[in-house]
Amino acid sequence: MQAIEFKVKWGMLVNLDKCTGCGACTVACRAENNLSPEVEAGNKLRTNDWMNIYELSNGEPFPHHEVAYLPRPCMQCGKPSCSTVCPVVATTKDEEGGIVSQVYPRCIGCRYCMAACPYHARYFNWFDPVWPEGMEKTLTPYVSARPRGVVEKCTFCHHRFMAAKERARMNDEDPTQLAEDAYIPACAEICPTGAITFGDLHNPDHEISKLVASPNAFRLLVKLGTDPQVYYYSEREWVRKLGDNYLKNDKGGENV
Amino acid sequence: MGFDRRSFISLVVGGAVGTTLTPVIWKTLDDVSIWSQNWSWIPRLKYGEEGKRFALCKLGADAYGIKIKTIAGNPVVAEGDPDHPLSLGGICPLGAASVQLLYSPSRVRNPKVKDGNTFKDISWEEAESLLAEKIKAAGSDIAMVSGDETGSVTDILTGLVGQAGSKNAFLMPSESGPAAQALALLGGDGQIGYDLENSDYILMLGADVLGSWGNVTRNGKAFAAGRKKDAQYVYVGPAQNGTAAVADKWVPCAPGTEAVLAMGLAGVIIADGGGRPFWSGFSQFSQFVSSTYPLEKVAQITGVPAETIKELAQTLGKAKHPLVLTAAGASQGLGAFEAVAGMCLNMLLERINETGGVRVLPWNPRVIDAAMEHKNLLANDLVAYLSAIADGSASAPAVFMIYGANPAHSLPNLAKVQAALEKADFLVSFSSFMDETAALADLIMPDSYGFERLDDSYSPYGSAQPLYTVAAPIIKPVYDTKPAGDVLLSVASAAGLDLGFDSFEDVVQAKAEALGADYDDMVDGTAWVGTEFPVQDLELWSTPLREIEAPVADGKSLALAPVVRLKIGSSKLATPPFGTNAIRYDEMSGREMYVLVNGVTAKNLGLQQDDAVKLTSASGECQARLRIFEGVMDNTVVAPLGFGHTAWDDFSRGKGDNVFKLLPASTEDQTGVSRFATVQVVLGKA
Repeated sequence: MQAIEFKVKWGMLVNLDKCTGCGACTVACRAENNLSPEVEAGNKLRTNDWMNIYELSNGEPFPHHEVAYLPRPCMQCGKPSCSTVCPVVATTKDEEGGIVSQVYPRCIGCRYCMAACPYHARYFNWFDPVWPEGMEKTLTPYVSARPRGVVEKCTFCHHRFMAAKERARMNDEDPTQLAEDAYIPACAEICPTGAITFGDLHNPDHEISKLVASPNAFRLLVKLGTDPQVYYYSEREWVRKLGDNYLKNDKGGENV
Repeated sequence: MGFDRRSFISLVVGGAVGTTLTPVIWKTLDDVSIWSQNWSWIPRLKYGEEGKRFALCKLGADAYGIKIKTIAGNPVVAEGDPDHPLSLGGICPLGAASVQLLYSPSRVRNPKVKDGNTFKDISWEEAESLLAEKIKAAGSDIAMVSGDETGSVTDILTGLVGQAGSKNAFLMPSESGPAAQALALLGGDGQIGYDLENSDYILMLGADVLGSWGNVTRNGKAFAAGRKKDAQYVYVGPAQNGTAAVADKWVPCAPGTEAVLAMGLAGVIIADGGGRPFWSGFSQFSQFVSSTYPLEKVAQITGVPAETIKELAQTLGKAKHPLVLTAAGASQGLGAFEAVAGMCLNMLLERINETGGVRVLPWNPRVIDAAMEHKNLLANDLVAYLSAIADGSASAPAVFMIYGANPAHSLPNLAKVQAALEKADFLVSFSSFMDETAALADLIMPDSYGFERLDDSYSPYGSAQPLYTVAAPIIKPVYDTKPAGDVLLSVASAAGLDLGFDSFEDVVQAKAEALGADYDDMVDGTAWVGTEFPVQDLELWSTPLREIEAPVADGKSLALAPVVRLKIGSSKLATPPFGTNAIRYDEMSGREMYVLVNGVTAKNLGLQQDDAVKLTSASGECQARLRIFEGVMDNTVVAPLGFGHTAWDDFSRGKGDNVFKLLPASTEDQTGVSRFATVQVVLGKA
């Protein structure tokens, strides 16, 4: 299938040499995007975590062990596996900016997209969302609450993108040439160690367009050809190698 | 002309084609998809004008400024505040979950009095007159605990207790107590801060700088900035954590022996010609270090190879602006002598009141005459006091007030602490939440939540500058709660104790004035930053010189390395509703928490990944699941603090186990500080 090329392509780069896995991004993401609080979050087969943090290990025993943390939002793939399998056009990659959309009312809950996504970035609402009494007053006006039976995922805080474009139009600026700090997702904004850089991959004025050219920048499972718009950065070789973590005996993988 | 086969087919096909051309079917499908997701129990969004208000986040040990986004005046989400020196735009996991806590199911919604095994709702008038009566009757037999080191409500509480003639005013244990005592032992006077921003080599001796130590958010920002100018970060501790994951180097060191390593480093530096013989205290100190802490002994106690100690000392000596941060892994439980060891290392490196070094800040000014001096308050040891009550060597107070703290869950010697709280004749909790302490209380006078009241904070521990922050309320109390500061002033006056102020706002204004700050500017969130640092005339540790007590390995038990992960909660707060998902699958399984050991240790104990295990110490036991994690030293087990709640709500109750049960506290002689950084535990199958 032909992928659409966009003039503006929003991308994220997470510097894994700065991420401490503290979880502030996960929490901020939930609050911003109206994910309901989950009592039994210890059962990860049923949770809903748009921004999920994984622990990486170099696999060596003590004392040669090293650890790193990897926050995993939706990769906003250039060639998404999910949107191509959706039978009801509930998820598409067709808007300028290159963010993979998710239209909740259209979703019929078939979960083909979840099976297709190699990053496990998509989540199914197994239950209706419940906010403890009164807590629904803290819902933001940005993202509608999703009922049971709907798939959802990180949208790079798409509502912030729309707000930024609107602000630009109001100020007679070009909404396709947003400044670097005009649009930034919640996770990137609040990270206490500044591990997350966000911007337009095609805009040479945005820092990210330079960062992704570094030999230390990498993406997850590039061999699959999904062309993710989320990049990671690490000066540690073992961390970069895990970006393409195939089965131990797989031929052709970098980590064999 | 009849209705033949041809007409029938034309009708059906024509009808089918025609239907696809009308919008009705698509419109209906669209409506079905929308309306089949539009249930009455799915909350609707409220729209309105967006605003941003300044607030203080005091949910962890730190107190820093954040911004609260409001929609039509209602708080919805919390963000960092780029203009506050301790946030710089960042936020911690607790801060990020702070707005939703307004409506936490554990909020205490109105004053309550104990009625047998349950609580009875009472009015504020009844509650206030009941407490005033009890205080009047108690006379000087009154005590208090505060978990808020930086706020003026604590001043009101210590003032009330002081005015009543009691000295039993306490803070929850933290890093600042031992640090203040250490500075006093070295002849200094003030609050210790650290200029992380300008240091180029930071040696973190146990200090989980990016996880739980000091001003976590500001530390993160300083680290990010340091990365751009090639500052080096070395983490020394028993296990890898978030700080170790991003540090340039991790040096494994047995839990609770970080200060011994500091002495070892001092020894190498002195042997290499560091320090000046004419410094006061130098000869005694250098002699003590060389005789008591030979390199091999330090290596043996800490588990750090002698070569590595030498290397570390040399790198410290070579760095332009090195800084040593000494702390217990869980940012509490350190003794004063351990803090002294860390300070002396900084002194040897000539890092006191220097760029990128240790700063000494003026104390929190006292505006209430009867309030206890902050340094005296820090010197009072809560764990020792409660243990004495439990043992019967001290009498339980007639009135015991607890503010912003949860001693019934988050203190070592936990069984004794709980017994002591139960012994108090009249236990009063000012908690906003139904925590374990409130559940024990005879009277609960729920404090309004941080965003519902005026709040202030003077220089949280670690802050490099004197700093005063005031935050105005951003929402009216959502339940029938009142700000504890105002309640205490009114109760004090009803009990005949005049503290000289009528309202909490007056106290905050007086403090702003005492600092020379403009209160009106400050309520909008502009922090006051001081520039004066009291000159210190320090001498190296010379009296009373003593060997730092180090845990002894017995070959059978493991050393416990307790850790704090803010997303799980703090010593004040259980896991907030919005924090549960941040706990990873490798930190908790179902409702059980994981404790970590490395593969060799597990093999020696005959344990495997996911085994149900029991940790047993002299003080108590804990249940957990075992996770094999190679980033842990041999014969060491890592266990998270903050689980095992018995009160609160479904988001935290009955999840994991309370590791404080395992921690005994020993009292350091001379200083009276309770030490509880580690303990030997037996790990076996449950």
